[in-house]
Amino acid sequence: MRRPAWRWHDLRVVVLGLAFAAAWAGIGVRIYQVQAVDAARFAQRGFDQRVRHEVIPAPRGTIYARDGVELAISVAGADLVADPSIVDDAEEVASLLDPLLELDAAEIVERLEGDGRYARLARGLEPDAVEELEALIDGRELLGLTLVPRAVRVYPSGPLAAQVVGLTRLDTGAGIEGLEASLDDVLAGQDGRRIVERDPGGRVIPQGRLLVDPAVPGADVVTTLDRRIQYAAEQAISAAVERTGANWGTVVVLDPDTGEVLAMASAPGFDPNDRDALDPDAVVNRAVAEVYEPGSTLKVVTIAAALEEGLVAPSTELEVPQRIVIEPKEYTDPSDHPSTMTVAEIVERSSNVGTILVQRMLGNERHYRYLDAFGLGRRAAIDFPGERSGHLEHVSAWCRSTCGPSAAIGYGVSVTPLQMAALYATIANDGEWVEPHVVAEIVEADGRRIVTEPRRRRVLAPETARLLRSMLERVVEGGTGTRARVEGFTVAGKTGTTEKYLPDEQTYSTEDRIASFVGMAPAGDPEIVVAVVLDSPKGVLEDGTELKYGGASAAPVFAEVALAVLNDLGIPPDRPGVDGDG
Amino acid sequence: MTGRVSTLGRTRRTRAGVATRSRSAVDRRSVLLVVPVFLLLIIGLGVMMSASSVVAIRDTGDHLYYFRRQVMWVGLGVIAFVVAARVPYRFWQRTALVGYLAVLALLVATLVVGDVRNGARRWIELGPLTIQVAEFAKLATISLLAAALTKKERWLGSLLHFLVPVAVILGGVGLLLLAQPDFGSFAIVLAASFAVILASAVPLGYVAGIGVLGALVGFVLAVSADYRKARLIGFLDPLSDPLGRGHQAVQSLVALGTGGLFGVGLGASRARWSFLPNAHTDFIFAIIGEETGLVGAMLVVVLFTIFAAVGTVIALGAPDRFGRLLATGLVALISIQALVNVGGVVAVLPITGVPLPFVSSGGNAMVVNLAAVGILLNICRAARGRREDVRP
Repeated sequence: MRRPAWRWHDLRVVVLGLAFAAAWAGIGVRIYQVQAVDAARFAQRGFDQRVRHEVIPAPRGTIYARDGVELAISVAGADLVADPSIVDDAEEVASLLDPLLELDAAEIVERLEGDGRYARLARGLEPDAVEELEALIDGRELLGLTLVPRAVRVYPSGPLAAQVVGLTRLDTGAGIEGLEASLDDVLAGQDGRRIVERDPGGRVIPQGRLLVDPAVPGADVVTTLDRRIQYAAEQAISAAVERTGANWGTVVVLDPDTGEVLAMASAPGFDPNDRDALDPDAVVNRAVAEVYEPGSTLKVVTIAAALEEGLVAPSTELEVPQRIVIEPKEYTDPSDHPSTMTVAEIVERSSNVGTILVQRMLGNERHYRYLDAFGLGRRAAIDFPGERSGHLEHVSAWCRSTCGPSAAIGYGVSVTPLQMAALYATIANDGEWVEPHVVAEIVEADGRRIVTEPRRRRVLAPETARLLRSMLERVVEGGTGTRARVEGFTVAGKTGTTEKYLPDEQTYSTEDRIASFVGMAPAGDPEIVVAVVLDSPKGVLEDGTELKYGGASAAPVFAEVALAVLNDLGIPPDRPGVDGDG
Repeated sequence: MTGRVSTLGRTRRTRAGVATRSRSAVDRRSVLLVVPVFLLLIIGLGVMMSASSVVAIRDTGDHLYYFRRQVMWVGLGVIAFVVAARVPYRFWQRTALVGYLAVLALLVATLVVGDVRNGARRWIELGPLTIQVAEFAKLATISLLAAALTKKERWLGSLLHFLVPVAVILGGVGLLLLAQPDFGSFAIVLAASFAVILASAVPLGYVAGIGVLGALVGFVLAVSADYRKARLIGFLDPLSDPLGRGHQAVQSLVALGTGGLFGVGLGASRARWSFLPNAHTDFIFAIIGEETGLVGAMLVVVLFTIFAAVGTVIALGAPDRFGRLLATGLVALISIQALVNVGGVVAVLPITGVPLPFVSSGGNAMVVNLAAVGILLNICRAARGRREDVRP
């Protein structure tokens, strides 16, 4: 009697078991649908939410002085940005940030109370500042402030060689001035890329590494600059600019044997670490970016050519009048001189008329050939951004009358200070022109070194160069360049004073002069060549000499720099000093 | 009580043909019950090591922190299993009321001294252990219900005799669970209780009635709290708000889809990297599917299906009415939790926060579920033992 009921109950349990089995079967179908049929769609969604294509920024190369000290280096810094909509108390945040940022509290408050969701408070913060800010933000739990990491370019030597080293853009880090710009490709390296999987918090999922194409770090650049010489040059030129009220001044120090630029200083200067106070005029590397008519300093080319061609010797006597008329111009010598002078005396007294007479013996064709051989009208170096070529008209375009005579005394031809330094270095280097350069070598990230091999070109016979040096020595001993004398050393050099050409008015200034001095020491076997150029120096020395003359304003700068350089390089004195005579 | 047992015994003895091969059949059932459960334990531990590592590092710095805890709980669970398998299941019939009352007392204690986490008061801190009384309440409630329905078997035709004990038993535990609140555990208890009632001698009309009533109560409760309603809406249309309510469901499907047929490999889950919340607890099945693919996920489904089938066979072969009801209840308890959990993971059911038995992180459930398997094993073996007694 109970059995049917029990069977009935058996069935109920069986149904329950079958219900579970059916439910699991249904789940199985669903799993099949998700993991087999629609799997790709869901997998793609997962892929999209975690796979990131990222750029790995290449670390920028370092720029070194020749002694291995960094002039420009990239460090791991950050920008400080704020989300004004999250910042609680702008006043409080501003008072906390004020001592750490360049902005003052009021400015910070203004930015923090803006409408948007983004306000930049500081750009290119250096690591120690970042550390301080991190501690502050974490410690005070300041909301809405974020440090966005990025590489920051810093210049450990500050204003030293700032115009040569140059600048990078604050946002992209690309070079915009100086070596930073001209060697940007080399320094920048190659950004890598990375395809990685990241979790929602931005952490890399180790199992999800898909592709890493590493960045190639930028190459390092070792310059030929000697920091102590550079410093001495900068001190001297900025003092001279200050003293004379010149618009600008520049000094180039070359090693004549190698073409290495030991120093290249321009005043006014700037501190590349202080971008807010940047004066665009101060960024210009005057030594390569300024062109001027070299005037008397170019007379050595006329004399050198005549000597080399065997037309004259230093002792050759010439009848030199006080003035000479070559239509439509009249050329005069400013100071009185004997009517008969040797070629050496012409150089010593910097006689315009005498030099023009020598040029007429030489003729335009040969004259041009030497101007060209000395590298005028072409960029002197390969590694300077913004280097100008100067201007040297081809001889075929020269006028028949005054073009040759004007070029003989340094007019109608324009040069850069670096070109003039290289020209005198040719004389110092026994007649061989060596390409000046500021990059000693480029060291690739993998250690490969690309050493600069400067071009060389023979312009004069060694004997001619030696004769020129002894004539130029007399300029300093007893001629126009006596203020370039360096105690204990023989010096050879030449002064230059030219009326400043005003391009806008297409005429020469009556007041302003470009004053220059280019020289070498010791005169017998020069170790250094120094070129000094000042734009529009003004004033009068105690003895009444006007500072607008190269012999008055530029020559002393030469003396100051040359002494420092010779001492620094340990060159033994070659001339009995005043003390020795006494 | 003796009378009922003899009644069942008489029924069995009339089916002598089955008894001759009962010994090997019972052994086979025992193996088929225990082996899938232990396979699930092993799978669970293996995936736990990966699934919990990211969150373990975040929480403690030790990537094996949750894994170690899980190993400990599995150890305790195995002890519970061994003990439960050796205690004659009729012991639970005698102590059902005491156990139930003890659980009620603990639930009250939970409400008084319990820890509040995520807005619910569900845990009692006991030294290094955390006790979640609700897990034990499930077991105690099913035991008492089975005992009560066994005792009332003769009178179950009367609505009053049926309804009063059921209402009192479920009402008492239900009120205390909802007070925490722990709607999920209560729903599980209701569903498993329904299975027990179905397996009892209660007339089918009553069963249907109580089923409708239970479903109604469940629905009202489901939409009565905002977070449950949100889960329900998130389930119905997960892509409507993939970053909010539907987020877990979408991420769960993404994990399964990423796994594809053969998985991304052990320890290579991406979802555990904060994409899928609760990866090592409620959503561990998604990690299994991601790391071992359709193959691994299906294996888990098959193991749970075997468990349900063998459990049902054990219930059918139970020596007495209480054994049958208890076995049915325990199989239902575990199967329903597994179905609700996996159903949520594969987005055919709302997400409820019910862990996957034998697999998910969570110690109390592990101990209770393994104890339940031990009891099932004891019921299974009792069938054999009884037959051996009666064979001569």
